[in-house]
Amino acid sequence: MWGYLLGLAGVVLALVAAGLAVRRASSSRPMADGGFLTGRGTSYGKAFGVARWLTTLDHKDIGLLYIVFGVVAGLWGGIDAMMIRTELVTPPADVWDVETYNELFTTHGITMLFLFVTPVFTGIANYFVPLLVGADDMAFPRINAIAFWLLPPSLLFIRAGLVTEVLAKVLQAGGLVVEALFALEPPAIGWTMYTPMSIEVGNPQVDVFLLGLHLSGVATTMGAINLVVTVFTERAEDVEWADLDIFSWAIVTMSGLILFAFPILGSTLVMLLLDRNFGTTFFLSPGGGPLLYQHLFWFFGHPEVYIIVLPAFGLISLILPKFVGRRLFGFTFVVYSTLAIGVLSFGVWAHHMFTTGIDPRIRASFMAVSVAIAVPSAVKVFNWLATLWYGRIRLTAPVIFLLGGISIFIVGGVTGVFLASIPVDLLVHGTYYVVGHFHLILMGIIPFTMFAASYYWFPLLTGRMYNRRLARVQAVVTIVGGFVAFLPMMVLGMEGLPRRYAQYPPGFTFLNQVSTLGAYLIGAGVVVWLYNVAQSLRVGPRVEDADVWDLKETDQFSREWQWFERRLEERRGELEGDD
Amino acid sequence: MGLADRNRPRQILGAIAGGVVGMAAMSIAFALLEVETRYEVGIFAGIARFVMLPGNLLFGFLVFVAFGAVVWPLLFVLFEDRIPGGPDPARRGLVFATLLWVLFALTGSGEVTGATLLIYGSLTLVGHLAYGFILGAVYGRIRPDFSVSEVRESREVP
Ligand code: HEM
Ligand SMILES: [Cu+2]
Repeated sequence: MWGYLLGLAGVVLALVAAGLAVRRASSSRPMADGGFLTGRGTSYGKAFGVARWLTTLDHKDIGLLYIVFGVVAGLWGGIDAMMIRTELVTPPADVWDVETYNELFTTHGITMLFLFVTPVFTGIANYFVPLLVGADDMAFPRINAIAFWLLPPSLLFIRAGLVTEVLAKVLQAGGLVVEALFALEPPAIGWTMYTPMSIEVGNPQVDVFLLGLHLSGVATTMGAINLVVTVFTERAEDVEWADLDIFSWAIVTMSGLILFAFPILGSTLVMLLLDRNFGTTFFLSPGGGPLLYQHLFWFFGHPEVYIIVLPAFGLISLILPKFVGRRLFGFTFVVYSTLAIGVLSFGVWAHHMFTTGIDPRIRASFMAVSVAIAVPSAVKVFNWLATLWYGRIRLTAPVIFLLGGISIFIVGGVTGVFLASIPVDLLVHGTYYVVGHFHLILMGIIPFTMFAASYYWFPLLTGRMYNRRLARVQAVVTIVGGFVAFLPMMVLGMEGLPRRYAQYPPGFTFLNQVSTLGAYLIGAGVVVWLYNVAQSLRVGPRVEDADVWDLKETDQFSREWQWFERRLEERRGELEGDD
Repeated sequence: MGLADRNRPRQILGAIAGGVVGMAAMSIAFALLEVETRYEVGIFAGIARFVMLPGNLLFGFLVFVAFGAVVWPLLFVLFEDRIPGGPDPARRGLVFATLLWVLFALTGSGEVTGATLLIYGSLTLVGHLAYGFILGAVYGRIRPDFSVSEVRESREVP
């Protein structure tokens, strides 16, 4: 066992040494003595090596690390989703057993929310917020790096059951049986980790999982502090609050929400760990009881929904106008609605608890606030539509994704207003209606805007152009897949199919199969995206003119593109040798 | 390009390097898949059937790796000109790997039936595509008589 570990450590050390050597050999510029040289790092023409990526403090490098990490986690969580949907092709639990199914929806939910969405948005913010506000780097570059490097271990902790099992199998094949590695089973307690079940489950992996989740919360909070301080203190001279772009507004609000919400999750997790391991009764009767857990969890959990959705709103508001040739309609209203959502989101948590028998007066007031929170979201939608009005819409891949995303979001949002009303919620709570509702929102807004942003900024990120036709194909396939996957769930729910079960009565077969088809379409879209990215990185045409999207024409050549233009100039200068 | 071509050794080296990297990626992915699906998909059993060694998982897997690292890359170099998708070897690799996958699906899927076949088929297809792409891309990088810019220029500029 120790031999293996030592060997592993040796390999890592060798890699680091090799990376250092490469870096030493290829960097002609003198290095500061441990200090951080602002403006030194750029994405192109830098020494390549493992060490660069392990030690970088440059916000753009760290941003890319976040994005790559998030994509890997997202693919993993996505495979979980495909497996869930595969199980549901037929009524009995014949593909995987019930226990595996429970593990799948748990790991899928957790991975998507904490390890995919949050890191990818933090990565985009890391890369672009400093460029958009004219800062040299993040306010605290070292904290930035630490916040990122906490994530890989937290992923390992959260999904340890699987990783340790692979390791155990490999060692076993080599003739070494390590019982401890087999003991960790993936958790099957749902992403909400409701007590008392989460306290009673014996599986030691649940403890490792809770620690990993706590770690990811610490990382997220550190990243959020950094983003807030950066926008507050590092803006360039000429960037007043009034000039702050819409994406940075969204990121500041998201980070504010994180600062208030994640500490609560952290505390709740610690209490849960204490209940599990030290016999405290925070969440057991006659201590606080399971309802206390739910209050604490959703006081975090509902804002979390907006934490992951606000950056997506920001991306839509930022990118859409660029391809319409008009300014964002009602900019200030979009900003105010962002802030309003941020504040209101803390006041609606108990709408997740309508069926728990809480005091009816509390219930009614939460219903009122939950309906009210639809207003600022609707304001945004109307502003997007007004931006499109009379605009010259160019149907590039980013725009197709945004239009598809907005349409799916409208369906998801309307179904959400229904859910916010107590009588409807009492009927459909715990059915596929809820799953359909939140996926229409999550899928429509989050991955779609991520894809849109990945295409919009692809030239800036890589210096190359992607394959546009393939990108449009991907956009259409993914949007169709989104509707086909999640609309049937609404019907399934209204017909009363409960969620989180591996089996179901045969009457629900057809709609489930349609939904699975949609999921596979989305998966196919993702494969096309991966191919396009990989292939364009290799052989995509080089970008010569920074104004890829003809933004100068409509006076929308914003700061990040101006930065890109300067980069291209510099590189041209270096190539001509008059450096 | 005959066998006497003086670029041949480098080409073969490049293809084998590509095969090794591609195989590493695919094996890791398959191992994760196997555990993640709780051995329901039975990928290693499928592999063993694929290389005509049903019942011997470990040896079957080793043969599989050997094929992926050496035999397929050599075939790839031999027939490169006749594989559609050129001049980019990575795209040819995709076509080549799709053919391999068809073989794999025909021989390997054995007892896998019903809904399991869906996920089995799609994930192994993606695994093979990744293998083919990596094989071709690494090969293209190492091969002396090929430059990426050649491919780049042959692409339509948007
Ligand atoms: C291909 C796309 C996706 C498919 C096919 C899919 C499918 C599913 C299915 C079938 C469930 C289980 C529902 C149940 O048993 O009650 C589920 C749960 C869930 N999904 Fe997704 N999903 C996808 C994408 C996403 C995304 C992008 C997110 C988040 C950003 C997400 C977050 C969740 C969450 C939080 C749960 C709840 C887990 C739980 O019940 O504990 N999903 N998904
Ligand atoms: Cu809520």
